[in-house]
Amino acid sequence: MSAQDPLRETPADEGGAPRRRFLLDDRGFDEVPPRYRRFYRRWAGAGDQLAPNEALCPVCKVVVRSTRELRPGDRLYCMACMSRLLVVSGQDGRLEATVVY
Amino acid sequence: MSEESSDVHQLEPARFFEQVHSFEFWFEAVEGYLHGLDHGHRAETPEAVLAPDERERLITVLCNYCVGETAALEGAGGLVQIAPNRASKIFLSTQTVDEGRHLEVLVNRLRELGVADPEVEIASRATPALLEFKRRLLALVRERDWLAALFAQNVILEAMEFTVFQAHARSADPRTREVLQGIVKDERRHLGFGENELGRRLAAQPGAASRLAAVRRELDPLVLGSFRDTLLRIGGRREEGADLAEHYRAAVTRLGFA
Repeated sequence: MSAQDPLRETPADEGGAPRRRFLLDDRGFDEVPPRYRRFYRRWAGAGDQLAPNEALCPVCKVVVRSTRELRPGDRLYCMACMSRLLVVSGQDGRLEATVVY
Repeated sequence: MSEESSDVHQLEPARFFEQVHSFEFWFEAVEGYLHGLDHGHRAETPEAVLAPDERERLITVLCNYCVGETAALEGAGGLVQIAPNRASKIFLSTQTVDEGRHLEVLVNRLRELGVADPEVEIASRATPALLEFKRRLLALVRERDWLAALFAQNVILEAMEFTVFQAHARSADPRTREVLQGIVKDERRHLGFGENELGRRLAAQPGAASRLAAVRRELDPLVLGSFRDTLLRIGGRREEGADLAEHYRAAVTRLGFA
């Protein structure tokens, strides 16, 4: 099942809409130990699109994936470059990740 | 292992920090992309037939990569001594191994291209600006200036190499491409370590940002000029020269001393 396939909906967080859940498949990202590979994939460039459970690491440009739909305030980790990330709303309203030192 | 316990994003920050700085993590990570390679490329990858001028340009570029990697190797080894905590020392030991491997596979690539004596060739083709950068970097390490040395090595040098090697890999012959792609995978860890460690230190010592800005003004031109030349030599477009600076400037902006 691909990252775009919602598995089930979870109860709403803090009164918001329920979050979709995602089953992550291995996309061949070989830069982290095998048990963590499904949480990452390579950014394919201009034609690539992020799914609702994905964010681009601002430090190393790897796509970080979560088992749930992302919301502002979520914590993510980019294991490829060892960065701790925070999901925020960008200027255009889309979600993006910022690095937290 | 349960799904929850293997969800990387559920790790506590301290646990994540400890894990990614470990030798154990490094070993599992590099095993994924280095296993089965012969000097950084698959043994069966064919050697391309290069025109004489293409071969000459490639040898000059690889010689300068060797200078950069030698600087990184000596720098990372020296940084182990002045790193402020054990996690950083352990991480830098893995980086030192990475840099040694990079130098070895690049020297081997020179030999595959017919260079009889890589040491002599590297010395004769090295860019003076890159040699000066190496001298300044190692001086910062000797002065035990952790922040400045880490900035010079893991932000300036690693960011430039990360961008240039990616650009070069897109147009390189098959063997060189595989060698560079393997190095880029290591560089991701190195530049991430540098930015995150500096970010934590600067949060605790905001006054240090102005000193690093001065280091940046001194070292920027040495590396930027050298890598821009390399990009053009490998047939890169002028926009890629701009990309080179952009990636690095983005890191410096996040750190707060653009």
